[in-house]
Amino acid sequence: METLTFLIIQSLNALSQASLLFFIASGLTLIFGIMRIINFAHGALYMLGAYIGYTLAMSTGSFVFALVVAPILVALVGLAFESSLLRRLYKRQDGGAYLMITFGLAVILDEAIKLIWGADPKGVPTPDLLQGVIIILDFPFPKYRIFLILLGISAAASVWFFLEKTRLGLLIRAVSQNSEMVSALGTDVTFIRRLVFAIGCGLAAIGGVLATPMVTAFLGMASSVVIDAFVIVIIGGMGSFLGSIIGSVLVAFVQVFGAYYVPDLALAIMYMLMLAILVLRPGGLLGKEE
Amino acid sequence: MANKNIEQSGFTRRKMIAGSAAAVSTLALPAYLNKATAATAIKIGIPTVITGGYAVLGSHVMRTCKLVEKMRNASGGVLGRPIEFVFKDTMGKPADAVRKCQELVERDDCRIFTGVVVSSEARAIMPKLEEWKAFFISHGNGDGQLTAKHYVDNFFRANTSAPMGARALALYLKDGKEQDYFAIGSDYAWGHSSVKAFTSQITSAGKTMVGSVFAPVGTKDYSTYITKILQSKAQGCYVALQGDEGRAFYSQAQQYGLAERVQMVTEIVAQANIRALGKDSVGLLGSSRYPFTYENDANKKFVSAFQAEYKDEIPDWSDGEQYQALDILFKAMEKADSDEAKKIVAAMEGLEVNSVKGATLMRKCDHQGENQGFIVKVTEVPGQSEPVPKILKIYSRDKITPDCRATTYSS
Repeated sequence: METLTFLIIQSLNALSQASLLFFIASGLTLIFGIMRIINFAHGALYMLGAYIGYTLAMSTGSFVFALVVAPILVALVGLAFESSLLRRLYKRQDGGAYLMITFGLAVILDEAIKLIWGADPKGVPTPDLLQGVIIILDFPFPKYRIFLILLGISAAASVWFFLEKTRLGLLIRAVSQNSEMVSALGTDVTFIRRLVFAIGCGLAAIGGVLATPMVTAFLGMASSVVIDAFVIVIIGGMGSFLGSIIGSVLVAFVQVFGAYYVPDLALAIMYMLMLAILVLRPGGLLGKEE
Repeated sequence: MANKNIEQSGFTRRKMIAGSAAAVSTLALPAYLNKATAATAIKIGIPTVITGGYAVLGSHVMRTCKLVEKMRNASGGVLGRPIEFVFKDTMGKPADAVRKCQELVERDDCRIFTGVVVSSEARAIMPKLEEWKAFFISHGNGDGQLTAKHYVDNFFRANTSAPMGARALALYLKDGKEQDYFAIGSDYAWGHSSVKAFTSQITSAGKTMVGSVFAPVGTKDYSTYITKILQSKAQGCYVALQGDEGRAFYSQAQQYGLAERVQMVTEIVAQANIRALGKDSVGLLGSSRYPFTYENDANKKFVSAFQAEYKDEIPDWSDGEQYQALDILFKAMEKADSDEAKKIVAAMEGLEVNSVKGATLMRKCDHQGENQGFIVKVTEVPGQSEPVPKILKIYSRDKITPDCRATTYSS
């Protein structure tokens, strides 16, 4: 395998991994950016997305249907949680209370998933259209990973456009800057918060559905991915959407190339990157030091 | 007058009745206690993975234990006493496994362990057995060194070890057309032991190992490792990955079309992986620690009881191995007529049991169970709801069990 081919294939591997990471990390950072809540249930919502996606894909035979409907259902779960429990804590302005209640949700979701779907892992086959490989410089590369890359880029661009170029996006950014002022100007801040929480949950669920053909849906998948997501958010800067994109790409490249060149340090190298960035920029790459 | 005297002496009727009751109770207590002991359940500790990456394997341990508890207690228990399993969650972490075993000993007065999922947990528990006066029988710990370098008196392994699985596979692959092999293993005790054993066996068979790599526990993305395998130009790839890692690897390998370029072989063919992978698992070749399709009376009895209890379920290798370990344990306890660790050890040494995997000998020299070796291929079978392992070849136990207190073979 020539060096050029190797670099291209490894870069594509990293980009496909970055796409998956982006879906979960961007939801986490959006929720923190607007609501100042560290959502400990984010991994569980990602897992819920994977399991609901499994049920929908297997019962309808359509992966696309699962990819569209599962995130909507998970977003509704997030919405119900926000409007029934989370909103009661806003007046307290207590980060600890947010941590406890989202951690509680994570535990409840974990147990509910175990009760509903059982302990055995659930596999979803790669959709027919995305099965097989394309040959890049004599080397096979999965069509599914190409799909992940394209979907990740499209989603990142769409969310960025929504946040930066639409009136609702402007209001969301305004709430993140000064919610009291936005409220005084007559905007329904509660609605904005609710919407952002639901979008964040939905993004995590997309990640869950997309991950299922690669890792299957299994109990414990939440904890394995949520740590990566927190690292990405810290690297990119808490609350920075653009930072979450850059963080996802950086972490994915470090993981993929690290596993090749220094396999013994494959997991540790991500934390080394995070430490290095925190030393140089304590607020993360695009975040503000508070 | 007499009553008056009694009252004057302070010895009232009430006191006499109370005293009599106390005397009767004191005299009757030993008999009562003896009766209670006879009926007291024999507690068996199951420090297993209930949450975490290997929870599937832990769930198999638990369901088989519950089935065995039901079956055994319905037929009079063991030593005339009912059995009771005490489950503890180790989360697959060695430090937690030791802590939970300590709890089993101190809080539950339970000194018989089985159901430990991860080899590194077993390694952590074993040095404490003597101090706890406890006995531990492995149902699935594969690390070859557990009955070699890390041997302790109070530990037995009923199951096929990693070197034994690798040996059976190497014997089978000896005449295959693939010449160059690559190996990928999980980066913990069992993965290393398995890859090391396979490397030794396959090179002895005249094949070449062109490389190996170990993926950290918890790895989700195997693209780099698959790239390495493809780069190596190997014709065969030995896979020593289990649980979540195994499924992630096979799923992603299928997406890369790895099976079309490289013959994948594995030390453990697991039904949980087959179910999750569906048709993608068809064609996978490997060693099996327990194929439920093996035909003998003991296995027919187990499979039939299992499927009656758990509708539409196929017993996995860990179910079969757990059932076998408990079967051997109970036979040793009955032979010893005791549930004390030292007596069970003495009874188990040299014990031969006709188990769900055929005749199994618990040899004295290193406490390794001599099991037959099974080579299977995942196949679609009419009438089965999912692909199942079809037995291709069975190797006799003397061919696949390593030398005493070793992971190698002198012949």
